[in-house]
Amino acid sequence: MGTITASKRQLAWVFDLNKCIGCQTCSVACKMLWTQDEGTEHQWWMTVNTQPGQGTPKGWETMGGGYKDGKQTPGKLPTPEEFGGGWDYNYQEVLRGGKGRDVHLEKTAGSKTWGMNWDEDEGAGEFPNSYYFYLPRLCNHCTQPGCVEACPNDALYKDPENGLVLRNEDLCKGAQMCARACPYKKIYFNPARKVSQQCIGCFPRIEQGVAPACVRQCPGRAAWIGFLDDAHGPVAKLVNQWKVALPLHPEFETKPNVYYIPPLSPAPLNADGSWNENGDRIPASYLESLFGQPVHGAVDTLKTEMAKRRSGQPSELMDLLVMYKWEEALGHLRRDPAEIVWS
Amino acid sequence: MTTTGTASLDRYRKRWSWEKATFGTHCLNCLATCPYRVFSADGKVLFEEPAAVFGQVEDGVPDMNPMSCQKGSAWSVQLTAPDRLLHPLRRVGERGSGEWEEISWDEALGEAADAIVEAIDFEGPESVVFEETVEGGLLTQAPYLRFAGLIGAVTLDANGLINDFPAGHHITFGKFSCASSVDDTFHTELVLIWHSNPSYTSIPYAHYITEARYHGSRVVCIAPDYSPSSLMADTYVPIKASTDAAFALSMCQVILDEGLANTDFLRSQTDFPLLVIESTRRFLRASDVVSGGKEDQFYWWDEAASTLAEAPRGTLDPEDVRPAMSGKFSATLVDGTTVDVVPVAELLRERLQEYTPERASEICGVNPEVIRELAREASRKRTKILEGFNTPKYYHGDLMERAMCLFLAVTGNWGRPGTGIQGLALAGLDGYMLFGMKQKRGVAETIRVMEGVEGAIAALGNQDPEASDEMVGYELLQRGVVSGTASPPAFFHFYHCGYKDTWNRAEWSDPTMKRSFEDYVNDAVRRGWWGGLVKPGPSTDPQVLFIVATNPIRRQRGGSDTLLQNLWPKLEKVIVVDTRMSATALQADIVLPAAMQYERINLQYAITHSFRVGFSDEAVKPQGEARTEWQIFRALSEKVQERAAEQGVNEYLDGRRQPRRLDNLASAFTLNGAYESEEAVVDEWLRDSIEAGTLPEDGTLQSLREKGTTRFSGLGMFAPGLSLAANVEPNKTVTAFQWHVEDFVPYPTLTHRAQFLIDHPWFQEADEDLPRHKDTPKMGGDYPLLLTSGHSRWTVHAVSMGNPTLSGTHRGEPLAILSAEDARSRGIADGDLIEVRNDRGSYAIRAKVAPRVRPGQVIVYNGWEPHMFSEWKGPNEVEPGMVKWLHLVSRYGHLRYLPFGWQPVPADRAVFVEVAKL
Repeated sequence: MGTITASKRQLAWVFDLNKCIGCQTCSVACKMLWTQDEGTEHQWWMTVNTQPGQGTPKGWETMGGGYKDGKQTPGKLPTPEEFGGGWDYNYQEVLRGGKGRDVHLEKTAGSKTWGMNWDEDEGAGEFPNSYYFYLPRLCNHCTQPGCVEACPNDALYKDPENGLVLRNEDLCKGAQMCARACPYKKIYFNPARKVSQQCIGCFPRIEQGVAPACVRQCPGRAAWIGFLDDAHGPVAKLVNQWKVALPLHPEFETKPNVYYIPPLSPAPLNADGSWNENGDRIPASYLESLFGQPVHGAVDTLKTEMAKRRSGQPSELMDLLVMYKWEEALGHLRRDPAEIVWS
Repeated sequence: MTTTGTASLDRYRKRWSWEKATFGTHCLNCLATCPYRVFSADGKVLFEEPAAVFGQVEDGVPDMNPMSCQKGSAWSVQLTAPDRLLHPLRRVGERGSGEWEEISWDEALGEAADAIVEAIDFEGPESVVFEETVEGGLLTQAPYLRFAGLIGAVTLDANGLINDFPAGHHITFGKFSCASSVDDTFHTELVLIWHSNPSYTSIPYAHYITEARYHGSRVVCIAPDYSPSSLMADTYVPIKASTDAAFALSMCQVILDEGLANTDFLRSQTDFPLLVIESTRRFLRASDVVSGGKEDQFYWWDEAASTLAEAPRGTLDPEDVRPAMSGKFSATLVDGTTVDVVPVAELLRERLQEYTPERASEICGVNPEVIRELAREASRKRTKILEGFNTPKYYHGDLMERAMCLFLAVTGNWGRPGTGIQGLALAGLDGYMLFGMKQKRGVAETIRVMEGVEGAIAALGNQDPEASDEMVGYELLQRGVVSGTASPPAFFHFYHCGYKDTWNRAEWSDPTMKRSFEDYVNDAVRRGWWGGLVKPGPSTDPQVLFIVATNPIRRQRGGSDTLLQNLWPKLEKVIVVDTRMSATALQADIVLPAAMQYERINLQYAITHSFRVGFSDEAVKPQGEARTEWQIFRALSEKVQERAAEQGVNEYLDGRRQPRRLDNLASAFTLNGAYESEEAVVDEWLRDSIEAGTLPEDGTLQSLREKGTTRFSGLGMFAPGLSLAANVEPNKTVTAFQWHVEDFVPYPTLTHRAQFLIDHPWFQEADEDLPRHKDTPKMGGDYPLLLTSGHSRWTVHAVSMGNPTLSGTHRGEPLAILSAEDARSRGIADGDLIEVRNDRGSYAIRAKVAPRVRPGQVIVYNGWEPHMFSEWKGPNEVEPGMVKWLHLVSRYGHLRYLPFGWQPVPADRAVFVEVAKL
């Protein structure tokens, strides 16, 4: 079993769920770089799901893994059907097959009946008080990564310089104990190469001073990257100073390093269609089930600071969230990749 | 630096490396100009990512970076996608059989040229018809427009095909949209997301909504469903679909009733003070009052002097005059009779009494107190409507738009930062406008042409010294239209494509119509309202249909079969130029493969959203045998000239009985070799735009290759650019209609004001002379569910439907989204195959059930190709594509055809359907 060696510093992500519009640009940005080869068709290291929902893999939140009171808890290995996706179509037959209207474009027989965003924009509740929001997810690059401890081949480790959880694929034998142990179910299996794979934190970019693709490409400007110990950076300010950015499912006890600013959503409507300004469209209990007890304080802080700003007062928190200059999202990783000249 | 596991990690390091980084953008009809970096090696594109080169414009306003979306970030996948066209193809089997043979370019162009020459010889050049496109960029569009112009063919106006034309804005302002640059939204205090879904359709700049909210503005989403854009809002207004006019008018009623209106704004900017003869509801004109008086001189009542006075035509500034906004007065007409006159404001006040919050609530379903609160808030705050392009696709979309404009008028909400209505406005790229006028390359020629244009403008201006530059610009455009190729497609569809019977169906039309649609068409044509524009005429059979980068078989309202059954049999040849095997390409005789963005240079349309040039460079050579449109039409010009000579068709008369020649077509296309390549063309456009002052010095091709973009520096000399009426300053967001509000420059309307009364007899007959609400006609039949739809998140139209990476980000197959209640009551479960049907047709589709959907509503997002459905019957099967008859009005002040402007457009939203499990 692997051992966790603490890193000197820790990179962390913050996603603002009030700015995320569910567009999947982060997912696509990641896929374009890292999962284009055979064996990776179904792999989406970065995904965005509509909450509440079953997400990807289907029903991941109840698959177990992680720790309970410091002890690893058993977890399920998601099936290829639960991940879904990777489907093919009968393009040749329809576009060039000479069969006319006898055939139409469809997925080839046996295609998976789930995908990385199958329950997009469904959510819960009853119209007009339905509710939903978007949750972008990648490997949490945990401080207490169950995957590292679970690996029988010592293939996983925390990068000592930045805390990314990385895999030595030469050591990985595809045992998939990591995927069972991960409570976020963010580890995929590559059947062509017989190795497990997950988000690499875009380390080749980070080495060059370039922010990860999911952050740098986010059109909603909903993502930040930075070192947690950089007290002046937006990540540390949002996580530690303002305490509005929270880890997902802290009860999994892996100490994730991806943080979320909880969604506010519009006020619900009374039965007569008037606004219930004091009500919660998203049940507070649901948010608590995702982000724990601290979510209430985070929501209160957001609402207080928004109200301050609306009444014309300054708010450092609101300024941070506005992101006047896009580079603020990138922390110390501001290099333009096009400047790089490979020898 | 990460060191552990080096060999294993090197796999990833190697993957993230490249030889070359070029700039690229996608030139799609999303109209964004996102600058991307395109990384390539060994002649192949590896991946792309936003270049993020848009610097902050205004202090205190967030910059636009990174400007991206998932479609842009996966574009390179499409270069080698399974639907990509790589070789010229000729149909082997029946049309639509999908049986092809690869042929050489020479053969393909020869066959196309033969068809064109024969059509010219047999039926005349107007039997060669092009569908205009806005997909693909200026260098996709310019070549076929140039070719069509040289041979005297017909080009069907793009806005009449895609119906992005907000007729109600045009009725009000004489132009289409009061749209500022997207960063201007940050100045807004009350953001109304209304009839739009920016979190799907404005991905690159939706952040201005969430950021404005954090900055202190309030965001309200007004939509029938709890839409994905509602998530960004503070409050959600669940409005019944297509009742938006009632809702807007009710807010206007509250504002006027409670004395909250911005009276100074209304006095100076609108027709509120203009006098109307009470008995006829016609404006009082000088021709009524004095012998030989002008038809377009209007009056108001000078309260201080207690007298009738001419409302100034040359300025909106009332100066010392306080025109009456209420009351009844008396005017003596030229024949000595006396009539009662009232300001338009009086008529409006009376009209608005029909829309008290309680009465409007019965129509739109919004709580009356919500209507009141929003109205009061808008009267205090800088308010902007984010509207998009949904309303133009509703039968009575014009009424919704006029009501929205009225709401902005009474609250004084345009012409200042953070106000207006966000659809589309054009920016000036004057080099593109000058292109067709130049007889040779170079700046000296540009100056000569510009002097000629200025001379024409001055001459026209002298005829009416009170006309603004913008109005004169429209007049100039109007003169060009008659000799041009453009035609409003409604007439083509009516006479040649089998729409007459559909549009005549009274039960699918507005029940207040007094006559049949056909009667109105005949009347409009007989009156000469569309003289010279009905092309090809009813007696000219179309022979050749040329389709470049657009997809009518998917898009066509009224069912793809309407075209296939009525138009196709008349056509000798259907020729498609595209990058992918679209639904239309599948029905073609000859398919010509075009180069995609990243394989060629291109420029995006010049619009206000980013107010920057969208430039796309050639990163790699085209796949297979694909060619750019410039190469294709240049070669076709040579081929037509060659075949014409063989067949002895060197001279002929065009539709205006003007002589044309084909024996110099090739040299005319390239201007005697000056434009051998598209590089020369773009270089010329850019240099000329710099010369004309619409681009700064760094707007050259070389500079764009190095820096990716530049910001427009002026609006230029032509009406499309001037219509923005904004000061262009390097450090300010662009605010539409500033000139009207700050400088009192008149609007290009009949009354020179934002006009809410249209005193045209047809508008009077329809009781639409003033804004009002009308129920959507029962298009498709009397069925319980209303199909609303809209654009999807996943693709721009059908362009990315074949992108395997993007297909993985959704269910990857067509969907009809139902409310939980409607699904339950019909025994439909998520994933079931269902039939969507009405009296127009039916199709089969998978159901998706979502609690966010309003009971009674069905959503099928736009973009699926017909061949993704059984029997190739897709969503347009149930859309009759009805056309509102009032838009046949012309020759009434600003209600006259302009390219991309005023014309009849078909409706496709809000059709009635039933669904059932299959």
